[in-house]
Amino acid sequence: MKTGFKFYATLALAVICFITLPSFFSGKNAKPRFKFPYKQAGLTERQAAAHLLNRFTYGATPGQIDEVVKMGLEKWFQQQLDGKLPDDSLNGRLAGYDALNLTNKQVLDTYPRPPIILRMAIKDGYIDKDSVNKQTDKKMYRDKLEAYMNKMGFKPERDLYRQFISQKILRAAYSNNQLHEVLTDFWFNHFNVAFVKNDCAQFIPAYERDVIRPNVTGKFETLLLATAKSPAMLMYLDNFSSTKSNDPKPGKSRKTYAAAKNTAQPGADIMMSDMEAMQQADAKNQPQKPRQGLNENYAREVMELHTMGVDGGYTQNDVTQAARVLTGWTVYPLSDVGYTNARKKALEKLGEERMEKQGYVHDGDFLFAANRHDNGEKVVLGKKFPANGGYEEGVTLLSMLAHHPSTAKFISRKIAVRFVNDNPPQSLIDKMAQTFSTQDGDIAKVLITMVTSPEFWSKDALREKTKSPFELAMSAVRTLHADIQEPYQLYSWINKMGQRMYYYQAPTGFPDRGQYWINTGSLLSRMNFGLALASQRVPGVKVDLAALNNHREPESTEQALLVYSKLIMPERNLDETVKHLTPLLNTPDLGQKVAKAASKANANNTMTMTGNKDDVLASMNDEKPAKKASVNTNKNNNQMLAQVVGIIVGSPEFQRR
Amino acid sequence: MTSRRGFLKAGGLALFGIGVGGFPTFLARAAESDKIISPYKKKKILVCIFQRGAMDGLMAVTPFTDNYLRAARPNLFISAAKAGKGTPLIDLDGRFGLHPAMSAFEPMFREKRLAIVHGIGSPNKTRSHFDAQDYMESGTPFNKGTSSGWLNRAVGLMGHDGATPFQAVSLTSSMPRSFYGDNPAVAISNLQDFAIQMRGNPKGANMAARSFEDLYDQTSSDLLKQTGKESFDAIKMLQKADVKRYKPANDVVYPSSALGNSLKQIAQLIKMDVGVEVAFAESGGWDTHFNQGAETGIFARNVNDLSSSIMAFWNDMEAYQDDITVMTMTEFGRTVRQNGTGGTDHGRASCNFILGNDVNGGLVHGNIQPLSVENLEDGRDLAVTTDFRSVFSEVADKHLKLSNDKVLFPDWDGSKIGVMRS
Repeated sequence: MKTGFKFYATLALAVICFITLPSFFSGKNAKPRFKFPYKQAGLTERQAAAHLLNRFTYGATPGQIDEVVKMGLEKWFQQQLDGKLPDDSLNGRLAGYDALNLTNKQVLDTYPRPPIILRMAIKDGYIDKDSVNKQTDKKMYRDKLEAYMNKMGFKPERDLYRQFISQKILRAAYSNNQLHEVLTDFWFNHFNVAFVKNDCAQFIPAYERDVIRPNVTGKFETLLLATAKSPAMLMYLDNFSSTKSNDPKPGKSRKTYAAAKNTAQPGADIMMSDMEAMQQADAKNQPQKPRQGLNENYAREVMELHTMGVDGGYTQNDVTQAARVLTGWTVYPLSDVGYTNARKKALEKLGEERMEKQGYVHDGDFLFAANRHDNGEKVVLGKKFPANGGYEEGVTLLSMLAHHPSTAKFISRKIAVRFVNDNPPQSLIDKMAQTFSTQDGDIAKVLITMVTSPEFWSKDALREKTKSPFELAMSAVRTLHADIQEPYQLYSWINKMGQRMYYYQAPTGFPDRGQYWINTGSLLSRMNFGLALASQRVPGVKVDLAALNNHREPESTEQALLVYSKLIMPERNLDETVKHLTPLLNTPDLGQKVAKAASKANANNTMTMTGNKDDVLASMNDEKPAKKASVNTNKNNNQMLAQVVGIIVGSPEFQRR
Repeated sequence: MTSRRGFLKAGGLALFGIGVGGFPTFLARAAESDKIISPYKKKKILVCIFQRGAMDGLMAVTPFTDNYLRAARPNLFISAAKAGKGTPLIDLDGRFGLHPAMSAFEPMFREKRLAIVHGIGSPNKTRSHFDAQDYMESGTPFNKGTSSGWLNRAVGLMGHDGATPFQAVSLTSSMPRSFYGDNPAVAISNLQDFAIQMRGNPKGANMAARSFEDLYDQTSSDLLKQTGKESFDAIKMLQKADVKRYKPANDVVYPSSALGNSLKQIAQLIKMDVGVEVAFAESGGWDTHFNQGAETGIFARNVNDLSSSIMAFWNDMEAYQDDITVMTMTEFGRTVRQNGTGGTDHGRASCNFILGNDVNGGLVHGNIQPLSVENLEDGRDLAVTTDFRSVFSEVADKHLKLSNDKVLFPDWDGSKIGVMRS
C-alpha cells in the first residue's frame, strides 16, 4: 500500500512535470514565456535584435540580425540560454589542439613546471647539479634539458597556455552558443584566477572548462561551491595551505614550509614551488607536524568579491571565523611526476575507506583533509557552526553566502553592469535581486528578468558599454568574417590594447567599465588594430573585404564608406561618421595615391604620421594620375578599401556595443 | 604676448613638427591664455609609486629592538646583529633596520635625502585591497563617491591652463584611480607604441590619423572624445622623439622589471621637456600571504626591485634632482604575527619612502609603540599613527607649492609631521 502510494505520487508528479515544464521553459518548438519590451522603448525589431547581439554575443556576424529577427528575438535568447546548438565548425577548428581535454593530473604529468623538470633531470643524472647556475654553456645545458624532456615525453608549459588562449579566441569567434561564451568570460572574471600565480597556472584550463563553463546559467550556489573546491581557486587564494592553528609558543621556531623550502636542496628557491615545499615540509617533519595555521585570503575574498560585496555587512571577525570553517579544504596531491609525493603515498596508504571514516572527503581533485581542519566552534555572520562540523560546515557556509541578501544584490548589480551599462539603475538591480532571491540564485532566470525589463532597452543602455579589448577584437573578426588560422596573433593585439587575459593578478578580475579600458595609450592601439586587421597585417588572420560585399566593388571611396559602415555596424545611425569621413577620404584617386606612397616608402620601417594635413593633401594633389592605373586598379582599390574599413573598426562608434 | 610662431620657436617645439590635426590644441589653448606656462620652464615634479597589494612595512623597515615582533615572526624576523647567520638588517638609527635587499637606499638615508614614515595608513579600517587603494587614491578615506583622484586635483590646483598633455602622466596600461578627474592626464604603458602606425605607408597613416582625430572629436561619448583628444595632442609632442635609443645618464642600468621600465620612461619624458609635473608608476606582488621569505625570497626580491628601480631613476635624473621628489605608497600593512603559511595577512599601518633634496631625510618619522598586543590595532596589526593625508599633503605643499588642503583632501584637518624641510 505504502509503496503503491509512493509510486502513484511519483508518477503523478512526473506527469505534472511533463506537462508543465516544456510550456514553462523552452521545449523545442515552444515559444518562450517571456516577451521583450523593446517596442515600448521605441525600437524596431531589427534595432532590438542588434542590441541583443551587441550584449549577448561577441558581435553580430554578417546577416545575423536578419536571422534573429526571423527566428524571433525571445526564441533566439532562449536558445542561447540553453546553449545546445551544434558547433561542428568550431570543433573542427579546435581539433588540432591536443591539450584541451586533459585532466589536471594529465596536465601536471605532461607539462611539468620547469623547476620540476630540472630537479628530475638532476636526479636522473642528465644534468650536473653544479652546472645549473653557471652562466657558461647555456646552450649545452638547454640542449640536455630538451633531450631529457623528449625522452620523458614532457612538453613545454607555454604550449599548454598557448593552446588554452587560442581556444578562448576561437570559441568567442566561432561558437554558435555565444551567450555561453560571454557568460564563461563573465564568471571566470568574477571568480578570477591568474597565470601569474605559478602554482595555480596549470589548473586554469580545467578550471574554465569543468568549473566555470558547465555552470554559467545554473544556480549560483553550484558555481560558488565548484570554484571553492577547484584546485585553481584553492591555490590562487591560498586556501589549500590554510590549517587549524597550533598556536605555537612565540619565539619557539619549528620547522616551517619556508624553512623546508630553503634547506631542501641547493638552489631550492628556484627549484621548488610553494605547494611542493609545503608537501615536502609535511613529509620531512613527520611525525612532528610542521607549524601550521590559518590563511585568511580566500575567506575574505569569497565574501568581498565572490558573494556579499565589500559593503555586504561582514566584519574582520567574520573573515577569520570563515577561514577557520574552511581549514582543511585543499588539493588532492595529483602528480606522480617529480619527487616522491609523500602526502599522496600517505593518503593512499590510509585508503579511501578509512579516509572517509576519519572525515576526509576526496572528490575529484579536491581534498578535505580532516586532520587539518579546525574542529572548534565558530560563528560567522551570527550563525553558529557547532564543533566538529567537518567538511559539511564549509558547504553550509558557502550555501549561506550564496543565499545572503547582499549576494543577491551584489551579483545582480554585477550582471547588470556587464549587460546594461556601467551604472545600472537601482530599479533594475532590485528586480533582478528579487528573482535571484526567490528563484534560488537561478542565473538564467535573473538574466530573463533583466532582458524583460524596460531598463535593458532604454536609451541609457543602448551603445553605452565600451568594448573591452577582447570584445573589440572579437567583434571585428566576427563582423569581417575573418578566418583565424593563428589565434595567438590576436592575443598579442588584445594584450597591447590593455587586456592581458588570464594574467590579471588581483582577484577582482578586470574592472568592467569603459573608463578602465579607454586611455590615451590603449585608444591608439585600438585604432592601430583596426588598420592592421583590415590591411591583412595581423598574421594568420585573413579577411576578405570584397567577399563581404559579395564582390561588388564600390565605385568610389564615398560609396565604400557608406556600404562598409553599414555592413560593419548595422542598425546604427552613422550619419556623423560618414559625414566626417567623406571629405577626408574622398580625394580623387585616393586609392592610387595611397598605394603609390606606400610603394615608395621603406617597407621595413614602421612609419608614423608626419607633416601637417596641408602637406599631405598638397602632395597628393601634386601627383599626376598614374599611367599604370588600369593595371593597378584592383590593388589600389583593395588598399583603399582596407584603409576605409580600418578606420571604421578604429572609429569611436565601433568601440561601443 | 608672444605670437604663436615665436612661442613655438622659443619653446623649441618646432622640433615636434605640427601634427596632422594642424595646431596641437593644447598649444592653441596656451596661446590664447594669459597664463602661459611654457613646457620648457623648469618645474617641480612629483613621482608617485603605488605598491599594490599592501607592503609589509614591518619587514621593509623593522623595529628590530622590539622583542614582541621577534616573537611574533619566528621565520620572518631578520636580526640587525652582524654575528648571526644570513645578511643582517641595515641599522638606520639603533631602533629601525632597513631590509638588506634595499641596500641601494642606504646612502640616500645617510645623506638625509631619504625619509621614511612608519605607522602610516588610512583612518578607514577596511582591510580590502580594493577599497583601501580606492580611498588612498581618491584621498577621501570615508567617501566612496569621490569621483576624482587626489593627484588629478593636485594638477587642477596648479592652475596651468594650457599646460601640456603630459602634465600628469602615468606609465601604466590603465589610468590609475589617482588620476581620475576633470584635469587632463595621460596613461601610456609603452612610449614606443605611441603613434598611428601603418607599416611602409606614411601617407596612409597620416590619412588614417586625420580621420581618427576628426571622428573622435565629434563622438557623443565624452570618454572617447576626451581621451581621443589627449591621445592626439600627446602624439604630436612625441613624434620626433627617439624613444628606442634612450641612453640614461651616468651609465645607469634600470632593472628590467615593470617598475624599472616605467621609471625609465618617466625619466625620458622629463628629459624631453614635455611638461611633466606629476608622474605615476606601479609596483606589484606585495600581497605576501604565503612564504614571503626573509633575507631572500619573494619579499626580498620585491624590495630589491623597488629600491634599485628608484635609485636608477634618481641617478639618471642627476641634473634634475633639485626639482624631483619621489614618494611611495601602499594601501595598508600586514599582520604583526606571521600567519600559518610563512606569510602575513592583511593588516593596518605600513611605511613609506620619500626621496628628494627638499626632504627632511635621514629620519624614520612617525610614532611606533612597542608591538605588544595591547598596543596593536584590533589586537593584531600595527596601529595607524600617521594619516597618509598628512604626509601626502605636506609633500604636495612643500614640493609642488599646493597648500589648498581643502581641495586635495576635503575632509581632513590634521597636522603635518615635518617630512619635508621647511
